[in-house]
Amino acid sequence: MRSRTRWIALLAVAGLVASACGETDPAEPEGTDVATEEATDEVTEDAATDEATDEATDEATDEPEATGTWAGEGGGEDGVLQVAFVYVGPVGDAGWTYAHDLGRLAMEEALGDQVETTYIESVEEGAPSERIFEDLAREGYELIFGTSFGYMDPMATVAPDFPEVVFEHCSGYTTGDNLGTYFGAMEEPRYLTGMAAAAASESGRIGYVAAFPIPEVIRGINAFALGVQEMDPDATVEVVWTSTWYDPAVEKEAAESLLDQGADVVAQHQDTPSPGQAAEERGASWVGYNSDMSEFAPDAWLTAPVWDWGPHYIETVEAVLDGTWTPREVYGTMAEGMVGLAPFGPNVDDDTQALIDERRQEIEDGSFAPFTGPLNDQDGELRVEEGVEMTLPELLSIDWFVEGVVGSAG
Amino acid sequence: MSAPTRDRVDDTPPSGTIRAPRRLALEPRQEVSRGVLVAVPVLAVLLALIVSALFLRLTGHDPVTVYRVMVRASFASRFGIADTLVSATPLILTGLAALVSFRVRLWNIGAEGQLYLGAVAAAGMALLLGDRLATPVNVVLMIVAGALGGMAWIAIPALARAWLRTNEIITTLLLNSVALLFINWLIFGSRSIWRDPDSGQFPQGQRIPAAAEFPRFGTTRVHLGLLVAVLAAVVVWLVLTRTRFGFRMRVLGDSEDAARYAGVPVRGMVLAVLLLSGALAGIAGAAEVGGLSRRLDPSSLAIGLGYAGIIVAALARLNPGGVVLVAVLLGGVRNAGTALQSLPDRVPMEVAVMLEGAILLFALGSEVLVRYRIQWPWSRPADDPAQGAGAAEGTDAAEGAADPAPGVDAADAAESAGGAAG
Repeated sequence: MRSRTRWIALLAVAGLVASACGETDPAEPEGTDVATEEATDEVTEDAATDEATDEATDEATDEPEATGTWAGEGGGEDGVLQVAFVYVGPVGDAGWTYAHDLGRLAMEEALGDQVETTYIESVEEGAPSERIFEDLAREGYELIFGTSFGYMDPMATVAPDFPEVVFEHCSGYTTGDNLGTYFGAMEEPRYLTGMAAAAASESGRIGYVAAFPIPEVIRGINAFALGVQEMDPDATVEVVWTSTWYDPAVEKEAAESLLDQGADVVAQHQDTPSPGQAAEERGASWVGYNSDMSEFAPDAWLTAPVWDWGPHYIETVEAVLDGTWTPREVYGTMAEGMVGLAPFGPNVDDDTQALIDERRQEIEDGSFAPFTGPLNDQDGELRVEEGVEMTLPELLSIDWFVEGVVGSAG
Repeated sequence: MSAPTRDRVDDTPPSGTIRAPRRLALEPRQEVSRGVLVAVPVLAVLLALIVSALFLRLTGHDPVTVYRVMVRASFASRFGIADTLVSATPLILTGLAALVSFRVRLWNIGAEGQLYLGAVAAAGMALLLGDRLATPVNVVLMIVAGALGGMAWIAIPALARAWLRTNEIITTLLLNSVALLFINWLIFGSRSIWRDPDSGQFPQGQRIPAAAEFPRFGTTRVHLGLLVAVLAAVVVWLVLTRTRFGFRMRVLGDSEDAARYAGVPVRGMVLAVLLLSGALAGIAGAAEVGGLSRRLDPSSLAIGLGYAGIIVAALARLNPGGVVLVAVLLGGVRNAGTALQSLPDRVPMEVAVMLEGAILLFALGSEVLVRYRIQWPWSRPADDPAQGAGAAEGTDAAEGAADPAPGVDAADAAESAGGAAG
């Protein structure tokens, strides 16, 4: 009898989900959505519980945490928001994912027992990640952060099937009824790190280990190069592409190749401190990325442009708790604190630090923008007129290098 | 044909006996019963589980809970089973790709690259065709394109192997890196049809038309590729056991000289077998594009499916049916890795990878037990049946009726592949 109820419930879910997610039909009337939403919600929960009970009985266990496909904690406890983070790499102790995890911990700290969080690390980007987001939503996580660009399509695919779950995607551009995006103006601190790099360079040749020739990375390289040129107009920034965000060995090799060619400072758009270790071994200087990585190469360390995700995570969770969350496209600035500068190393002299601080003030109060004309591209062609500031959409799709950058932008 | 319940193990005469009286020693088996062939891989998996359990215990995790979660996540819920089958689909095909080449002692380590090129060809076909044709036609054409893509990629090493006797392990392996650079260039560096022209912020593949999407079963992600893969396993089995081509493969796998004496066109066979292997890997790429990622997506493709196929073929002892089973097992183990992270005491993702490695290691190690029997110090030396076996050997090789010790070949190949890929 019970099993019959279960099958009916499962069939109902299958039917509802099929009708809800079958073909993506933009013309579908809004009303149907809401009705389906509630029905799916209830039935899914029932079915999930039934299934869990079934499994538990099968195995004759009495483990309370066995609530479905996974052993996780998701779902259901009153008043406690279940929050999940999906990471592209291992948390480790430095880099992109580490910075996001610091944000998660800061949020947990701030909100105490109002939230319970978990994270899944080393999740491959693209289609294979779809099942991870689906499983988390099914497990009862109510707010799910995906922290890499390659999760955009999978999240956009899964989100409509779980209208009661809030999805937040970092660094993408697709939004939906329950899918928001967030990212930050990393070009601002990158400009400042360029100033530090130029001051530390004697050869005027600065290497840059970069992941992929995409606007985010190109924008950062350009901002860095403009900062370099403020200090030393003749200096060049030489770019090597690695085609990976996270690969300590490849990143180190790329840095070594730049140092072999005569660079004496290395900067990076990569997730690990290994370019810094290469610089340390050769007595060169290094600009890191993502988080304070100074301990990995203390002598080479200059500074780094870093992320501070904590405030955004706290704000988002509070909005979901209050029921005031709406899908937004957040682009956090230095003034707002989402991006910033790591502490300076001993090799950045006081004069340079003072100059950088001055620029930082101007960026934060809005009186200086790194991407202000005149800007020439690599071929010397004028791209931005004197006094004109590049707009955010222009920056978000930039696909050319400014003058002084050596390398191909794609 | 020899009786199906007995398989000859090695074509070398038993002169290499490792034996000393009254000591622990290994003695070559003359014949291997089917029981041993099944028991050894099962034991290998069990031993891998036991050793991994010790490791888990030492690192402060409860192995029983870990294994229970792995089973539950991958094999005991509808969603889990569906996702396991999705992961198994490409592994079946790359496993078959390894199988056909390993059977004749050709070591195609390049299924990874052939898969990428199959994906490129299939996505290209879908994008060229657009919405003009019906889905079934599209799907068939994409699979054909995928097979051709994989064949084109292996054609270079295959021709070099057949005419110049170039070592195909090295050529196929190195071409994997070239293939990865190629698909990255198509998406990041070129303005080709594969790239979505509107993907300004982050270049990605152009989505294939809806008419080219492989149908999925119900609301799951399990797609037509699974049927294609299982069908391919059946076809490979039929080819191996029921056709002249399969017979020649067996002869060639036993001994190239014997094959030449028997009038087998060796060059043509080498070429044909490698092309077949590449085609199977290429179809895996087509299925990933059509059924799962629905665009040429380097990050979805480059997850080691080709290399994992070598493990699948080795564990399956180069048996097509075994490939299907092992692919499902391995697909589940791989998927379970993420579920382990949601345990209260956070078992790291790497445990699943470690388990996969441990299974392979024990499977390879246990091959010794298939080839040799243990001579315990207290047991009496077995009667030496060398004459009988030696006499049987000539006829066996000529007829090509005996199985060419598939597991042994697989072990060798996987060792070299593991070394090269690692």
